[in-house]
Amino acid sequence: MPDLLPPFDAHRVFVAPWTTDLPTYGWMTLMAFLVTTACGLVGNYLILRRMALVGDAISHSVLPGLAVAFLISGKLTLPAMLAGALGAGLITTFLIEFLHTRSRIKADAAIGITFCSLFALGVVLINVFASKVHLDAECVLYGELSHLALAEHSLGMPVPVLVMGGVALIVVVLIVLFYKELLITSFDALLAGSQGFAPGKMHLALMASLSIVIVAAFESVGAILVIAMLILPGATAQLLSTRLPICLVLSVLHAAVSAIGGLHLSLILGCSMAAAVVVAGTLLFGVAWAISWMRQRARTIVSDIHAVVS
Amino acid sequence: MNPPALELHDLTVSYAKKPVLYGVDVQVPQGALVGIIGPNGAGKSTMIRAIMGLTPLSGGWVRIFGESFEKNRQRVGYVPQREQVDWDFPVNVMDVVLMGRYGRRGWLRRVTKEDKKIAEESLDKVGMLPFRNRQIANLSGGQQQRVFLARALAQQSDLYLMDEPFAGVDATTERAIMTLLQDLQSQGKTILVVHHDLTTAKEYFDHLLLLNMRLIAFGKTQDAFTVEQLQKTYGGRLTILSDVAAKAAKGEAMP
Amino acid sequence: MRFPKTVVLPVIWLLLTNAAHAARIGDLTETSITEQALRFFTFSDPSLRLALLGCILLGLNCGLLGGFVVVRRMSLVGDTLSHAVLPGVALGFLWNHTKDPLAILIGATLVGCLSMLTVSAITRTTRLKEDAAMGLVLSSFYAIGICLIGMIQRLPSGNKSGIDKFLFGQAAAMNGHDITLMAVTSGLTLLFVTFGYRGLLTLSFHRAFGESLGLPMGFLHHAMMLLISFAVVTAMQAVGVVLVSAMLIIPPATACLLTDRLHRVLILSAIIGIATAVFGAFFSFLGSNLPTGPFMVLAGSLVFTMTFLFSPKQGWLTRLWRQQTQKCRIERENTLKAMYHLAERYGFREEGITLLELANTRREPLEQIRQRSDDLIRQKLATLTEDGSMLHFTPEGWRKASAIVRNHRLWELYLTNIMQYGADHVHDDAEKIEHVLGEDTVRQLERRLDFPQTDPHGKAIPGARDIHAAIAKPNLGKPTGY
Repeated sequence: MPDLLPPFDAHRVFVAPWTTDLPTYGWMTLMAFLVTTACGLVGNYLILRRMALVGDAISHSVLPGLAVAFLISGKLTLPAMLAGALGAGLITTFLIEFLHTRSRIKADAAIGITFCSLFALGVVLINVFASKVHLDAECVLYGELSHLALAEHSLGMPVPVLVMGGVALIVVVLIVLFYKELLITSFDALLAGSQGFAPGKMHLALMASLSIVIVAAFESVGAILVIAMLILPGATAQLLSTRLPICLVLSVLHAAVSAIGGLHLSLILGCSMAAAVVVAGTLLFGVAWAISWMRQRARTIVSDIHAVVS
Repeated sequence: MNPPALELHDLTVSYAKKPVLYGVDVQVPQGALVGIIGPNGAGKSTMIRAIMGLTPLSGGWVRIFGESFEKNRQRVGYVPQREQVDWDFPVNVMDVVLMGRYGRRGWLRRVTKEDKKIAEESLDKVGMLPFRNRQIANLSGGQQQRVFLARALAQQSDLYLMDEPFAGVDATTERAIMTLLQDLQSQGKTILVVHHDLTTAKEYFDHLLLLNMRLIAFGKTQDAFTVEQLQKTYGGRLTILSDVAAKAAKGEAMP
Repeated sequence: MRFPKTVVLPVIWLLLTNAAHAARIGDLTETSITEQALRFFTFSDPSLRLALLGCILLGLNCGLLGGFVVVRRMSLVGDTLSHAVLPGVALGFLWNHTKDPLAILIGATLVGCLSMLTVSAITRTTRLKEDAAMGLVLSSFYAIGICLIGMIQRLPSGNKSGIDKFLFGQAAAMNGHDITLMAVTSGLTLLFVTFGYRGLLTLSFHRAFGESLGLPMGFLHHAMMLLISFAVVTAMQAVGVVLVSAMLIIPPATACLLTDRLHRVLILSAIIGIATAVFGAFFSFLGSNLPTGPFMVLAGSLVFTMTFLFSPKQGWLTRLWRQQTQKCRIERENTLKAMYHLAERYGFREEGITLLELANTRREPLEQIRQRSDDLIRQKLATLTEDGSMLHFTPEGWRKASAIVRNHRLWELYLTNIMQYGADHVHDDAEKIEHVLGEDTVRQLERRLDFPQTDPHGKAIPGARDIHAAIAKPNLGKPTGY
């Protein structure tokens, strides 16, 4: 269906974003990269701790946190947003825990109940107080990187990019500082506990940073695409490497490639850039999956040959 | 006089409000190699965890070399059950063994060259040095267990708590582990091992701790390993006790 | 139907094109809440009737299937499925550029199956765990869907399609075709659950066992997954992609809190599902510019929260309350026990126990002992002398006091003799246990202990006969028996 795609023009798709349109697309790509980096780094630990769906839950429940923060503070200020997101993240963590320890509800159902209810609450709040809450429902679902063009500038860059850059930097610094603690609590919580590394507190701290990363990414990519940003880079990296530090570096690389790939893909398809970044990331995951599968095959064949020879 | 390596007084633990360990009193002398024996669900692993404060106590107290566990944390080495960790985790053998050094370094400090040297020595002792760069998923069960033991050795502790180190390992590894334990004991270390193979218990350990929700017997192997005590441990089902435990759990549900 | 189709369809058409944000059921005029409520209950609005019918069907369908989803711990499968079918919806639309429900159902179901296959392929061939695989599939399929919808919206036909309404749900957007489709899928579910109940029960409880019996577990599982995708896709119009999984989780989870047999869970969850869906429709109808989906979910969470707090067996507050009464009972029993001990110290003379002595024994201020004695008197377990200084047992109080002392001493004896506790450990334990021992356990204990006379501290254990006798000295020396 040709009318589904905008007419293809190599100059518009591949050259213009890096030359004439650089001021617009440059920031959008940088933003996409920063979002995916911050999410992907935290996401690595989520995957390792088998908490991918808790990330799903928090990404949904940040919405009512934001709505309440808007209602109380009246406008979009950074501290209000962070406080709302932190509150929502911790409440979600607590509610999930509470539901499945205090009743016969299993953990998976507890996650589902908590985030669906909170998300519904958020949507209702936004709709009821539509005039006071400057979040629109579409933004929640797709996120709009293109809003960046309208954002105020500070220190020579759009404010959201500045904020996201700060968050990504904090994530990197925290991971470098607490590498050892994160590793031991994720791998072997019992040993960590016996050596005094408070796995419970580390869990809460991880949830808190997760909420902050999600809220910073929220406006750009929305509640659901952020899950992809959390899981895709780590999942791709873990297919390719068996060392955690390399995985972390690979997920940053994945973020960069999918941000640039997403830019071009969105121009080719003419669709939302946030979604295109995720699609590009998915393609990368597919490639990594194929590579790891072929490696596995090769290894089996080699060991078969060994078996035959010996 | 030396304080006992491990002293438990009236140790009581409840899981989900249901008591699983009742009033355990034990004094383990220094330098003992203790086998903890009991049927499934007797609270063996629970006891090990409770000693390290990983499971909250509902009564009683624990002393390690005469002090609280928090004070003597670094003198305790721990080998958890193998199934408790995800062996697909993206780390290699050396990374796992180095984790044994984390406690010594404390928060925010990185591991040093010296730590790496100690880790390599520990790996060498269990015969796993050639595998030090191997991804942990590509190890056999016995090799995984030896990596865990190397990690405990790297902790350089005086009291070792090991949860089923002999579970699912091959005969070679079992012998290697045993040599290692005797070696440790000869250095004056105290070792507690959760074990469920009665046939080898008598020859492996010099002390035995028989457990079935409560302490049945503790003492030198020749004293504790009697038909009568074993029957008490494995034989009579503690119907009344578990019955009442369930009732207490219902009555005391919620804090 | 009172209104001819020619009236109904334009109304729906208006809604489809005009609802700017999210769904509203019914009309476009602003009216007061009471009027709206009145209109809701009189069912005077034809599109409302259609929407309500849709809600009932969706509540039934999701409730029934959700019961299995929750007991099989697959809650997040519903979530994954509901997000992942989005590209299928878009493809179904592209089939003939209209919102043809059948094409969308087919497209979405195919993509839903593909997503589940991808999840299992990822977990089988890589080191990634199921949760990561589900999150990955959920969000990347969703992103593809968003891309496709973005492209469709630039089409001339796509602009008015209302395909974006799939995201938050719009009960009013359902037309006759949608309802027919919903009725068919709900009917299929009903048949499947009724006739396959035993197989499904085995599947949910222990799949391998079912396989060993030769039951078609694989077939049942896949048929169920297919029906779940049908349910998700048909419900999506009313509830929206993001929240449709809530309809699969919240009603059955509520039902699970209320009952513990699978067939009751299913029936209850279908009822709760229907109620939730109708309530949601009602609330969103009241405020005339509100989306349906989130309101349904909120109605569901309200029901869930109430159940979680107040359900007679499992409710959190109910249990707290029960515990509180239990605590009062234990305090009362402890007072009775203290009275017994005092009476015992004085050789069971027929005299009362002074409040002052009681206060000394229990180490409590006199004021508190007064309160406790008031409580005992209220419960008719003791009487107070005229001057208010001495307590006497009533026959009932005496019986209770002896029973509790008997429990305590028997338990201590059991711990020391049979369990070989140190004599210094047994008292605290017995303090807790004595209040929960039932008559059966006590008799069992006595038999195990060979009907003992004295406890480890050498005190007499009141026998069963003493308890049922009037206030008297325990019958020492002779065996009591029954």
